Amino acid sequence: MTQRPTLFLCATLLACALLMGSAIHAGGYKNPEAISKAVKNIASSNGTVAKLHDLGKTAGGRDLLMLELGAKNNSGPAILLVANMEGNSPTGSEAALKLAELLTSEWKDDLSSNRWYIMPLGNPDGYARFFDSPLYESFVNDRSVNADKDDAFDEDGPDDLNGDGYITMMRQLHPEGRWLKVEDNPVLMRRAKRDEGEKGEYRLMVEGLDNDGDGSFNEDGSGGVNPGWNFPHRFRHYRSTNGLWAASELESRAVLTFAYDHPEIAMFIGFGRQNTLAAVSTGSKRGAGKGSYKLPSWMAENTGANPDQMYPIGEIVQMARDAFGNPGLTEDRVLQWLGAGAKLSPDKIDVSYLKEITERYKTFIKDAGFDSERLDAPKFRGGSIDEWAYYQFGVPAFSVDFWTVPIIEKEEEETDSTEITPAKIEEMSNEDFIALGAEKIDSLLKEAGVEKFTAEKLVTLLNEEKMSTKRIAKMLKSKMKDDEDSGADEDEQTLYDYNEKAFVPWTEYDHPTYGKVEIGGQVPYSDLAPDYAIVDSLVSGQLPFLRDLVKLLPKVEIGEVKIEKKGKDIWKVECWITNVGFLPYPTYQGKRSRRPIPAVVELEHGSATILEGDKILSAGLLPGTGGNKKVTWLLQGKVGTSITIDLKGFSAGKDKRTISLKEGGA
Amino acid sequence: MRKLILLTTASLTMLAMICVASVSAVEISFDRYYNNDEVTAHLKSLNKAYPSLTKLESLGKTEEGRDIWMLMINNSKTGSDLDKPGIYVDGTIHGNEIQATEVCLYTAWYLLDKYDKIDKVHELVDSRAFYIIPTVNVDSRARFFEDANSYGIGRTARVAYDSDNDGLLDEDGPDDLDGDGEILRMRIRDEYGGWKTDPDDSRNMIRTKPWEKSEWRRLGEEGYDNDGDGDINEDGVGYLDMNRNYGFSWQPPYVQSGAGNFPMSAKPNKAISDFVISKPNICFDFAFHNMGGLIVRGPGSKLAGTYPRSDVEVYDFFGHEGEKILPGYKYIIGGMDMYTTHGDFDEFMYSNLGIFGFVGELFFSEKVEYLPKHEDVEDDEDAPSRSIQKHKFDDFVSQGTMFRDWKKFDHPQLGEIEIGGWRPFTSRIPPTFMILEMCHRNASLVLFVAEHTPDISMKLLEVEDIGNGLKRVRIRVENSNALPSLSRTAIKRDIYRQDMITIEGSGLDIVSGGIVRDIHYDRVNNIDHHPEKIFTHIPSFGKRDVQWIVRGSGKATIKYDAVKAGNRSLTISY
Repeated sequence: MTQRPTLFLCATLLACALLMGSAIHAGGYKNPEAISKAVKNIASSNGTVAKLHDLGKTAGGRDLLMLELGAKNNSGPAILLVANMEGNSPTGSEAALKLAELLTSEWKDDLSSNRWYIMPLGNPDGYARFFDSPLYESFVNDRSVNADKDDAFDEDGPDDLNGDGYITMMRQLHPEGRWLKVEDNPVLMRRAKRDEGEKGEYRLMVEGLDNDGDGSFNEDGSGGVNPGWNFPHRFRHYRSTNGLWAASELESRAVLTFAYDHPEIAMFIGFGRQNTLAAVSTGSKRGAGKGSYKLPSWMAENTGANPDQMYPIGEIVQMARDAFGNPGLTEDRVLQWLGAGAKLSPDKIDVSYLKEITERYKTFIKDAGFDSERLDAPKFRGGSIDEWAYYQFGVPAFSVDFWTVPIIEKEEEETDSTEITPAKIEEMSNEDFIALGAEKIDSLLKEAGVEKFTAEKLVTLLNEEKMSTKRIAKMLKSKMKDDEDSGADEDEQTLYDYNEKAFVPWTEYDHPTYGKVEIGGQVPYSDLAPDYAIVDSLVSGQLPFLRDLVKLLPKVEIGEVKIEKKGKDIWKVECWITNVGFLPYPTYQGKRSRRPIPAVVELEHGSATILEGDKILSAGLLPGTGGNKKVTWLLQGKVGTSITIDLKGFSAGKDKRTISLKEGGA
Repeated sequence: MRKLILLTTASLTMLAMICVASVSAVEISFDRYYNNDEVTAHLKSLNKAYPSLTKLESLGKTEEGRDIWMLMINNSKTGSDLDKPGIYVDGTIHGNEIQATEVCLYTAWYLLDKYDKIDKVHELVDSRAFYIIPTVNVDSRARFFEDANSYGIGRTARVAYDSDNDGLLDEDGPDDLDGDGEILRMRIRDEYGGWKTDPDDSRNMIRTKPWEKSEWRRLGEEGYDNDGDGDINEDGVGYLDMNRNYGFSWQPPYVQSGAGNFPMSAKPNKAISDFVISKPNICFDFAFHNMGGLIVRGPGSKLAGTYPRSDVEVYDFFGHEGEKILPGYKYIIGGMDMYTTHGDFDEFMYSNLGIFGFVGELFFSEKVEYLPKHEDVEDDEDAPSRSIQKHKFDDFVSQGTMFRDWKKFDHPQLGEIEIGGWRPFTSRIPPTFMILEMCHRNASLVLFVAEHTPDISMKLLEVEDIGNGLKRVRIRVENSNALPSLSRTAIKRDIYRQDMITIEGSGLDIVSGGIVRDIHYDRVNNIDHHPEKIFTHIPSFGKRDVQWIVRGSGKATIKYDAVKAGNRSLTISY
């Protein structure tokens, strides 16, 4: 485990949360109405740089607001930032507001180079539930859904039976029970391992009554659909909380419409529960272009392929190009014919850029003192706005969470300072580790029960750089964990270690239908919202990385221009269109999805005539950091004729250069 | 069954013929194509002439501000449309497939005009609701008539799209170079162009063999290089295909061309999806197109999986009868027998909303062939090519109105070219004298399906004294028609509230209740909670037996209440 905390700030935050052992409530966080007010406030008090876009009202009558920030004459690339689209990220909304405040004060200069579209709350109805009493974890909007398909809508939601303000769980000793108490822990429950001969004792149910007497509990609560799961990449049908189809919800449709109406958007940033800066989302092993395909009958007929055989995509593309006499036939087109569906993993060249960014982020986080170990951010669910932004909208997309439950190291692990712990190994260099000596290493391996490796083998691998101390530490840690495994859910255990008050102790309750039950368990939102007291430090400390991120946007320029005389009044003009930004323009996935539009070069040739070359042409994909395209024209015109090269980068800037035709010109 | 249908169809035609002489409240002749204003006027006249049977509603405006008309045919005196099985019919989602609108218009006209003339139609109109949207792609169909046009223009919704990635929208589409009001084809002299004049008919071109010198290169549709980028017609209007813009398993344009930015991004798609959601009583839908002479069902793509067996049986029942009502049409599965589609209307209706439906592809090229009898020339190598046949058909049946001969033209960018070719309204759109039969036969398939919307009846099977003061009440709920009260997909995917069978009566004391699983073996699935309210569905040509055990005696009312199959009630004594 990494050594921390490195900064005073961080230590204070942790201590504060630990010592107070704070109970969970929304106290301090701005509710949707307050967020709406704050956004309107920023807009009205920064008239010169701010503009408010009203994107409509939700089913619950709440505002959908987009705040535009940018200097008047600024036509630079824009960033679309949407926070809390899933309604489960209290820190996300707070961070978005903080960012808007910073951009209108300390960071105001940034508004002359970039435009920001900031939506601090993408799912107001869902987020409003965080401020409900009793508190119940649900993020759906207020669209009425008949979840149980009976003859009533929203008639059986949960009930706060013990009146503690939280909807938690009910447990009851029951013949159908599949759960057991976690040993030595007063609150945690775990599933019985039937396949290891354990019999369950308790059944678990959400705190509530069968309000409609249909035998099911809490099967049709209020709402709704989560608009954060309603975007069109990897949308999953047939789950009522996802919506009937992608973009079926007012909230998702509003954001999609806004985005496509603003072609200057060059980057997406999501403030939610995921974090793609910490680890690039590599997507799925499946998806279009992976594996082999059978050809549909009409394609098999045309290509002479065996309709029952599976062919790899490369081979099919070649067969189709030959059969249709079209060498320019793209793989995407063929995949479409094969009905192969969408890409489910990012382009590998895009990934290489993103990986570099994660490295920079790690350095930033470490320097800022936010690198203490915490639970991993969850993976994307299907239908997220973040994945849509990359796969369909075609822009580099980054997701930032600001907090997950910190992992508190148990004290006893640190008692013997001479003991070699996995945490210490992780910090060692390869040489330090080898210097421990074969005997010591073997005993460590034996102690942890690692049979796959010997000291000798590890040393060899380390020397060949095929192994790292980090991986060794991880291996030892996971082996040791197996031994100590209490069976408790790791995340729950971590939360409990961090804050015992995140769990309501089980107390008896006389249930009208079930008889004796106990009510208790995890407090809603306790793993989603840190104590409000630490929020400002959390977001203020991490937001500055966004300024670094924005500097990585692609930017197209007219590079060197060469003019060569080829005869009387005949000129060869060569020009290099260059991307001086770090990121490619467009992304490789963007090229596939045909969004954003690659840069266009137009030659205003004045009185000269073009003998060879196109008046208008596309620069195509320009890789990052100096990626370029050479454009050549052969012109006829008198010496001194002025021509203008006009470069439109759409969301990657623009450039213009006027030159006159003369020897060694430009 | 088969005989019965033949008889029905025969009697329908006879009646139709008998009624020719009678007077119509609204006269519409189906021997020409109507433009958007005329279609709108016809809908308004029908609405005005039949105020108690119709409701004309604009579901919203298109991208260019035209109304999307929906004519509801429902006899309000026999109840609300929502309490009757609904049939949805639309046409021309592709603006160039114009005859689909005529088929919809005819269907509406026929149902209304024959209401007082044909008993069967009278009964259908009184017991079903029809929702007819003659034109989905109102903009492009309107412009198909108004603008200089070619067959190829007008499939799209009027949503601008940067087809050539230059940052400009729709800046270089075809142009009517010679100002004759039509967009035809261009060709240019070229020894290596790949085409030569057909020796059998100088109007026609055929491909040259690799060792032959060519005469022509084909240059596509009439047009200039409007934006000076060196290409001609590379960024015409759109392209957004509304039949790829619906919600089920929608895929972005790089997977499905024409998909639009996101599901239901085109205004008609949004308006129509909102509308069909508001009419959960719809049992079956027809969407008319014009390619191939087909009756098409889904799945349209692998992403929709395979359809459940019991639903396929229902589809097959209608598909096989349809092939006879529409001689020459083939009943096929879109994604298997044609090509993969994502985001089409049919899949949306079935996989998203659990509603059965067909795509009717109206036209097939055999109709304009010029041959004695198809089978005789199948293997005849000397038989004229398709194009030559089409020319002969034009010469001797259409009197030479379908083709414009090649004419020289001085093109500003290409030099001397020729312009000519098949005129608009000649490809996949039948000559006007064929309209009536096409309309009537397709309307007949709509009527046939409408006849088979679920028809539910309830009867008492028994009230038996089982001792101890208890009585066993058994009722049977039957469906005498082919469409089930809910499709298997609707049930499996929990799309609608299921049919509700309730029992009530003063002093009614229910001991148990449930669905009889097997009446001969006496197997009953009892309901643990609220046995007075049973949720179920009634299969195609099937039944559901329901039982309650009650205490004492008295009167009770049993009610059947379905989303798609109407309401029934039955009073019993026990």
